[in-house]
Amino acid sequence: MDRLLSFAFQLSLFLILAFIALPILVVLAASVSPTTTITFNPSEWTFQWFTALTASRWLDPFLLSIKLAAIVTALSGLLGFLAAYAVAYQKCPGHETIMAFLVSPLAVPQIVKGVAIVLFLSSSGFYSLLGTPGLVMAHIILTLPFVLRMIAGAMYNFDKRLDQAGRILGATAAQRIRFILLPIIKPGLFSGMTFAFILSFNNIPLSVFLVRPGETTLPITVINHMEYSLDPVLAAVNVASLAFILTAILVFEKIGGFSTQIHGGSK
Amino acid sequence: MKTSRQCALAVGFIAAWAPDAISKNLIVNSYGGPYEEIIRERIIEPFEKKFGVNVTYDAVGSASQDYAKTKATGGRPGFDVVVMTASQSLDGCREGLLQPLTAAAVPNISSLNPQLRAIAGECGAVHELQYLSLVWRKDKLPEGLSSWSDLLDERLSGKVMLPTFQNVMAAYLISVMSVTNGGDLLDEVDPGFEAVAALAKGSLGFEQSSAVMENYIKDGRAWAMPFWNGRAQLLMESGLPVDYVRPKEGTVPLIATLNVPIGSENKEAALEFVNFWLEKTSQEAWVTGYKVGSARPDIDVPDEVRARQITTETDLNALLLPDLSALSQRLPQWGARWEREVVTQAR
Amino acid sequence: MTSTDTLSITPQPTRLPIRFGQFLPLAPPSIMLIFIFAIPMGMMIALSFRGADGALLTLDNYQRFFSDDLMLAGLWRTALMSGLVAICVTVMAYPVAYYLARSTSRWRTVVFALAIAPELAGVVLRTYGWLVILEDHGAINSILIWSGMISEPLPLSKNLLGVVIGLTHVVLPFGILSLLTSIQGIDPNLERAAQILGASRLSIIRRIILPLSVPGIVSSLLIAFTMSASAYATPALLGGAGFKVLATMVYEQVLFYIDWPLAAVMAVLLLILMLTMTLAGTRAEARLQRKLHV
Repeated sequence: MDRLLSFAFQLSLFLILAFIALPILVVLAASVSPTTTITFNPSEWTFQWFTALTASRWLDPFLLSIKLAAIVTALSGLLGFLAAYAVAYQKCPGHETIMAFLVSPLAVPQIVKGVAIVLFLSSSGFYSLLGTPGLVMAHIILTLPFVLRMIAGAMYNFDKRLDQAGRILGATAAQRIRFILLPIIKPGLFSGMTFAFILSFNNIPLSVFLVRPGETTLPITVINHMEYSLDPVLAAVNVASLAFILTAILVFEKIGGFSTQIHGGSK
Repeated sequence: MKTSRQCALAVGFIAAWAPDAISKNLIVNSYGGPYEEIIRERIIEPFEKKFGVNVTYDAVGSASQDYAKTKATGGRPGFDVVVMTASQSLDGCREGLLQPLTAAAVPNISSLNPQLRAIAGECGAVHELQYLSLVWRKDKLPEGLSSWSDLLDERLSGKVMLPTFQNVMAAYLISVMSVTNGGDLLDEVDPGFEAVAALAKGSLGFEQSSAVMENYIKDGRAWAMPFWNGRAQLLMESGLPVDYVRPKEGTVPLIATLNVPIGSENKEAALEFVNFWLEKTSQEAWVTGYKVGSARPDIDVPDEVRARQITTETDLNALLLPDLSALSQRLPQWGARWEREVVTQAR
Repeated sequence: MTSTDTLSITPQPTRLPIRFGQFLPLAPPSIMLIFIFAIPMGMMIALSFRGADGALLTLDNYQRFFSDDLMLAGLWRTALMSGLVAICVTVMAYPVAYYLARSTSRWRTVVFALAIAPELAGVVLRTYGWLVILEDHGAINSILIWSGMISEPLPLSKNLLGVVIGLTHVVLPFGILSLLTSIQGIDPNLERAAQILGASRLSIIRRIILPLSVPGIVSSLLIAFTMSASAYATPALLGGAGFKVLATMVYEQVLFYIDWPLAAVMAVLLLILMLTMTLAGTRAEARLQRKLHV
């Protein structure tokens, strides 16, 4: 009985993992297949679809998405740090209420936030903010709560005696932040920022309302193109952007060294 | 120390990217998909060469989405020239979202057929005419089709592709089906809805973009469908066994217009671009390239093009012309009826 | 000066002299949040009560929504779709989460990467993949037709089935993560003790693991429901013309019909739907917890 159960368990595990991997494998195969029909025969594989990516119709949105994600990551890291410093580190009066307010956008669906922002910009006359500025602001509203939570988590665990020690040894407030606080919360800060980068780079529900001509992000360009055709160039675009995301994570990991934290979290 | 260097790096990145250079590009919003190339080759590249202006091509969104964007931004949608239909030109003009096009600013507008100019209103420059045609696969239906009612033929059950209501083709189909079945274009449309509902029952389904509908004809899943004749002509010339006709009950034209949003940042170049597209030579290039009709009666095009397109006074008079602003007011109501009476009938 | 002197000068070193200064770092994020989130949300809610005649407080727009069977069908479809996805996700996430929580094998890292990595790929890639697989001309139908098992393509996309498959895939990693945290919190010694006392594997799962992981199950259901209810791309691309949910309807009202008050109503209803589910979920969880502890 137990053996049967264990077999059923392993089978279901395998099937579920296959389900997870399936569409990604299909896209990988499609991106190297010579025709619109997918081939799994490696001798026929080609990289011709990837050469189409250098055209400005794909390159421009790609660059915009990178730029957007970079700005959003930096700003939400900065804003998240400031907020966490006041709320989690200094525990200012009413810090619990303020924290609840700062993470409240999490409770609102993205598409609702998107509508609210576009209606606000339209009906109050800030049309000129549509496009990159609007996208940056909307994405920050999305990423800030995540970044804030991760930094705050690191700060709650921070041993205040370290700060006292620094103070006793005559370090100024700025020095203590830079040499004591920042190095310790760095993994939290960087995992939050990595998360912000991925969220912004892949975002659809907010961007769909806020892009503007000549300033369209990569995921929106792809879904627009999907309404016309399902050609293999799309697969190549998707594979390229996945490769980019993975590279970005590696780079963040290299700087931030947060993998120990994630690993610790999963144990 | 390391951290501060990283901070400086991050700030440097923002500083380098944040102040977006104000673009001196002319942004033109038009059809996406495979048709982009024809526009680039026939209109945009010659224009860029002649005026030394850099054109950015924006293929995002259907005409109605472009209009919604124009409205949501109070006439500052980010594009300088936008291809829409005459009915959106009328609405946009009435709401003050589009730049009125005077003969002084766009001299070529005086060469257009006055009747069509009147239909499109002050803000829309009619740069092409298509009509709703009936397309079929010659290999499946060798004897061809001649009437809108042929779509309901039993042989075509499960072989017809339909547009979604977001494609203006749907509203036009209601109009012509209504006329075919004893109703009229705008008010007496129950027969039209009934016929299209019956059509939906035996249809393959609905697709929003014309480019996707086209795939169904290409691979033979669809044997017949309503389709814009310009695109139908291109399909025919690509070597597919496809033909199309202006059905005997008549048809409705798709009057496509060039528009300049009131808040365009490059208005001068935008008007120049509109004027350029209406030049006799550009119109000839466009009509022969994209296989459409023209509102300029004085263009010289081959006879075989003329035979299939709307280019003359007589062609124009044979068309069914709904009152476009009345039609656009009925769209929300028709849209609801479409979802309720038509979409629910499909498999 | 010795260190003890310094300490006596500032007896409470963690308190800043000017209390106002504590709030200073909060200014940039709060201002940002107020202008880009709080005010737009307030305006949107106000807009949903605005009448066509300019009246500031009317239920006309809500009445328009609730008197239209198509829109109600969209609301119902949203709830149905999200509910189905929530169940599929939780059922599928459970074995994976359990394995990740208990396994010590070296495959664990591989499984963890496989389970979470798709999240990095973004919704578009995965939806595209599913379209290629499920389409009428897609992989599954081609294989089935080629092998002669069917003659007409099965309707796998452009319907509820396609959307549920696509969304389950999108949301699954989140379900796994929320169950994982919960199962990790269960003391493995409980299982060992039960085993020693002769309980079968099945009854250990039924009597110990499942009841103790209720909070994880509830949070997985909730996160899957809310993420599905607000998903836009997957229902838009995999659902086809007849498949309208609140998210795609909102988009259509904003960018096709240009009916902003109606769009606002739909957005508010989506928000209410999610808040109700969250509330109901936490209530149910609390009740179950009480039952278990008694």
